Amino acid sequence: MLLQAHELTISFGGLTAVDRLSLTVEKGMILGIIGPNGSGKTTFFNLVTGMYAPDSGKVIFNGKNITGLRPHRIAQLGIGRTFQIPAPFSKMTVLQNVMVGTFIHASTMKAAKGKAWEILEMVRLDEKAEQQVVNVTLEDRKRLELARALATEPILLLLDEVMSGLTPAEAKAAIELIQTFRTQGLTMIIVEHVMDIILSLCDRVAVLNYGRKIAEDTPNQIVNNQEVIRAYLGERYSARN
Amino acid sequence: MSVVGERIKANSTALIWQWVFLGLIFLVSLIIPWIVSPLWVRIITEILMWAGLAQSWNIIGGYTGYLSFGHGAFFGMGAYVTGIAMMNLEWPFGVGLLLSGIMAALLAVVIGYPTLRLRGAYFAIATWAFGEMIRQIALILEITGGAFGMQLPAFLNLPFFYYVTLGITGLTYLTTYLLLERSRFGYKLLAIREHEEAAEMVGVDTVVIKMKAFALSAFFPGVFGGIYAYWVTYIHPDSVFGAIITDFMVVMAFLGGIGSLWGPFLGAVVVQLVNRILWLTWGEGTFYLVIIGAAICGVVLFIPNGIVGLLEARIFSPREALSQLRKMVKW
Repeated sequence: MLLQAHELTISFGGLTAVDRLSLTVEKGMILGIIGPNGSGKTTFFNLVTGMYAPDSGKVIFNGKNITGLRPHRIAQLGIGRTFQIPAPFSKMTVLQNVMVGTFIHASTMKAAKGKAWEILEMVRLDEKAEQQVVNVTLEDRKRLELARALATEPILLLLDEVMSGLTPAEAKAAIELIQTFRTQGLTMIIVEHVMDIILSLCDRVAVLNYGRKIAEDTPNQIVNNQEVIRAYLGERYSARN
Repeated sequence: MSVVGERIKANSTALIWQWVFLGLIFLVSLIIPWIVSPLWVRIITEILMWAGLAQSWNIIGGYTGYLSFGHGAFFGMGAYVTGIAMMNLEWPFGVGLLLSGIMAALLAVVIGYPTLRLRGAYFAIATWAFGEMIRQIALILEITGGAFGMQLPAFLNLPFFYYVTLGITGLTYLTTYLLLERSRFGYKLLAIREHEEAAEMVGVDTVVIKMKAFALSAFFPGVFGGIYAYWVTYIHPDSVFGAIITDFMVVMAFLGGIGSLWGPFLGAVVVQLVNRILWLTWGEGTFYLVIIGAAICGVVLFIPNGIVGLLEARIFSPREALSQLRKMVKW
């Protein structure tokens, strides 16, 4: 078991954003998380990466209790994440952005640069490497999010709506990219609204609603789950299938 | 490939010229005390000191994005540490300077620990309050001479202070260049400035890195404070802890261009030259503050990237200047 979230709970004021949420991820698998806006998907990521400390519950990663550790420690232990709204280092070049991520493992500037180029080639951003981030498109910023997260050489990668805002063609390219990560043995948790992406990529899908897990199953079972249809997919979606 | 090759070649030629230029400036700077009048040696020494101070501020304010308004505290701390080391402990000047830098850096750690978790205006206010607190403490302590100030042994040797200042300012810029412009530490600082949460997510220990940057940006002002104390021979809490010290560092860095290596230098040259030329023309007065105030408004409104930003935008080529002007002014 690579990641084990046990009974995670956090509330902000009177609102319980994540409510006794338990999820497990096995090595090599892709877990999809879906749910309406505000159902706690991004908050769950923030709990796993240490951005928030849970009110109760714990997170076990790779056999180690990482609950309450600071984000940079968790990143060093091997959890990478992308932000839903790209959060690049704007006044730096694309290459420099990725280099910052490589510093965890690269001990010299030269090694960092080499590793960063490698990753930029993989996500096909190498031609934009020397450009300032402010001058690149949204698609490239999404790719940069991926590249910077990969630069930390994660064991587990959390992808927060990497495909939102992309055209169908761009999304298709992104799916192919994520599939290559899978073949390289990377474990991933994907938050996404587009069901086709979830269906084509994920081994298992968890559905959140009001901070609670209302279902977890294989993608094909999930789309036929009555509660999921009521809470998230809607009657029309189930009729279409 | 050939395009990349040519770009690298062009870069290296430009780099060689930069080094030649720097070497020339260095040679000229070595003989300055022997070719200009003592008045100008003094003015140039002041400019160098401000250039070093502005760059120190730039480390935390420009590269890291934390606007410190308490930097005068480090300068004053350094002035008093050197004063006390020389007067009370009878230690040599050099030891006093080193101690000044170290004590200022330690003070930065103490101030930074609670304040560096604040951002933006809150950090500015907190550091300003700390700076003011240190000034008040210096006013009531016995070892600082309180409101009477402190008299140091007179050492009237202008070229000596010129060379010491030149050396420390040179060291400030060299440190900035090596540690900030081309090392992992510098990249991490920029990452913190641009997006602190994202920096943490890729493994940057923001707390430690920010603390190191703050200590480094306090070390040099501490040393400059020590030089200043020995140079002017009389220090008082209002002169070395005055708000004007911080204000000048901030203004110079902003005018020149924050977050750049040469911005603070250019800013210091412009501000201090204007300051001194007005002083030479009209005598002692505070009129220069009006001009500097107007200059700050102008910089904030029209050239947020400072002089360096203007140079990079090639605003000084007539064609570019005209097109920029057409964009700004509609007629």
